[in-house]
Amino acid sequence: MIQIENLVKRYGELVALDHLNLEIKEGEIFGLLGPNGSGKTTAINCMLALLKYDKGSIRIFGEEMRPDNYKVKQQIGIVLQNLAVFDELTVHENIDYFCGLYVKEKKKRKELVAEAIHFAGLEEYVKVRSKKLSGGLQRRLNIACGIAHKPRLIIMDEPTVAVDPQSRNRILEGINELNRQGATIIYTSHYMEEVEQICTRIAILDHGRSIAVGTKEELKSMIKTGETVTVEAVILNAGQLQEIRELASVFDVQYEEQVLTVRCTGAKHNLIWILNYLQEQGVSFGRVFSELPTLNDVFLEITGKQLRD
Amino acid sequence: MTVYKGYIYMAKKNVGIFLLYLGIFFGIILMFQLLNRENSTGGYQKESLRIAVVDQDGGEMAEALKSYLRDLHQVIELRDNASVLQEKMFYRDVHYVVRIPEHFYETCIVKGEKVPVTQVPGSYTSFYVEQQLNSFLNNARVYEAAGFTEAESARESKRSADVKVELLDTSGNGGEVPNYVNYFRYLPYLFLGVLGYVVGSMIFSMKRGDLKKRMQASAISQRRQSIEGLLACATIAMILWGIVIGVAILFYGKEMNKNPGSPYLLLNSLAILCVSITISYFIGSLSKGMNSLNGMVNVIALGMCFLGGAFVPLDVMSAGVKKAAQFIPVYWFETANELLSRYNLEVVRKEVLQAIGIQFVFAGAFVCMALAVAKRRRAV
Repeated sequence: MIQIENLVKRYGELVALDHLNLEIKEGEIFGLLGPNGSGKTTAINCMLALLKYDKGSIRIFGEEMRPDNYKVKQQIGIVLQNLAVFDELTVHENIDYFCGLYVKEKKKRKELVAEAIHFAGLEEYVKVRSKKLSGGLQRRLNIACGIAHKPRLIIMDEPTVAVDPQSRNRILEGINELNRQGATIIYTSHYMEEVEQICTRIAILDHGRSIAVGTKEELKSMIKTGETVTVEAVILNAGQLQEIRELASVFDVQYEEQVLTVRCTGAKHNLIWILNYLQEQGVSFGRVFSELPTLNDVFLEITGKQLRD
Repeated sequence: MTVYKGYIYMAKKNVGIFLLYLGIFFGIILMFQLLNRENSTGGYQKESLRIAVVDQDGGEMAEALKSYLRDLHQVIELRDNASVLQEKMFYRDVHYVVRIPEHFYETCIVKGEKVPVTQVPGSYTSFYVEQQLNSFLNNARVYEAAGFTEAESARESKRSADVKVELLDTSGNGGEVPNYVNYFRYLPYLFLGVLGYVVGSMIFSMKRGDLKKRMQASAISQRRQSIEGLLACATIAMILWGIVIGVAILFYGKEMNKNPGSPYLLLNSLAILCVSITISYFIGSLSKGMNSLNGMVNVIALGMCFLGGAFVPLDVMSAGVKKAAQFIPVYWFETANELLSRYNLEVVRKEVLQAIGIQFVFAGAFVCMALAVAKRRRAV
């Protein structure tokens, strides 16, 4: 459905996209994950022909994406990072206006607007001006404006920034619903939990390059970390730390401010071995956590830095 | 026409500001009209006083003077009796006593001596009569100096009081500046204020947040969006122009009909309307918030109107200010306006068209500047 090949975009000396390659298939919720400045928004802007790029090609629905390719644009809906609604207009007027940019037929538009209002749960606010809505409701309106014309492809650039947890959940549920209805979705975020929760395939971006692509399981299987054990309020000496490092399947030990973090490979009894060792040494400890690898671990292992650095 | 409708939607949300500016404008015009009316009808009143004349001469010139004074005042002839005269003055039976001496023509006209008078000290009526008396004497002295005989001088001096002034009719309004001139003079402030705010806020709204990106990514071409946007601006401008000209025709239709330059007056108002739209478009594309938009509209509208001659007539401006004002489109609007209201169209047609043309050039320049700003922001 979307093929991006060797895409290069420079802002003077800064290379925002460095030979980016992506392929997105119909029916996917495709996540673009990366820290701020990794090139997610630039990639989206290039896909939408809002930015000129220096090299490479973008094909959407089998056609080259150009600023004047209105046939392709007709089938795309966008939800951008910043609000893109008119403060002066009511909820209904806003959705009707943006739907009208794609759908001329009045009767059909009326139905689509009603559906979008229902989808975003804005029935109670149809006559309220957008500027009077809360931040979460404005975000929902922003999404309703982007999807009202029932596009085949929906591009969402960090739609949950500055949104309360309740609205965030509703937005994420909505995205799944849109996908079930047949829309392909490209979703960018630097919140790995969100991407992990809803995306069927994920590309991790860093410095304008795609450093890993796959399902979340595929991405996690690419790395050494199988489990991370964290033990709080524990006092250890250097000898004990060395002995923990030498335990089977342990490959990384961090000890800072009485918190022990042990990263292990995907063996079965990592937690039991660590706790047994501490008991044998007569070391008392506080809370204990055992976590499976996250996308942050994937990013950390591949790039050597945290996603939210 | 979705984009067009969107602009109109937003304009409707500013209808309060639109009406507010119109209200202020018509209020100011009404106030000026009332003030002008009071000035022209009640500013000067001719007064007729009771004055006494003591004629010790009885000659032709003395008769002419008495006749002249009789035309202006209620004249009582008295004998030269000091106590009677004092009593009359004391009880204000008369306000002024003119004593025409013997050999009046020789002493007062030929030799230029003063006519003896008695007056109430410090009263304004004394100055009033004295001015009229001096006017008669000066006229008579001029005739005498020109070689007229006493009889001829007396006849002509008396007649000169009846002379009527007729103004040269250069504008179809009997030579006077028509009332609608003030109405048209303040139009730039109304246009810049209303359009600056309404159109400016529309343009600003379209680029707020990621709206511009959403519009660019939509299935409607940029060209079509621009055309529909311009059409919306033109619609709002024409509604404003229609209201303003409609009111002008309602109140001053008859006067305007007499002036053959009226169509040019309307063309001139269309020119400043175009300038106002383009300035508003430019302000809207420059502003970074509604507060800055408000500030810019006020500074530009007031600044241009003060310097351009809308609030302060061009006649009273210094040469330096006038020279600087030539770089302001309002100056050319006011120039054309003044020319059309004061002079015959045939005489000033070229200058008027030149001033109107310069305004359209300004409009073009502002469009180019707005497009340059937009292009610079797009070129990322």
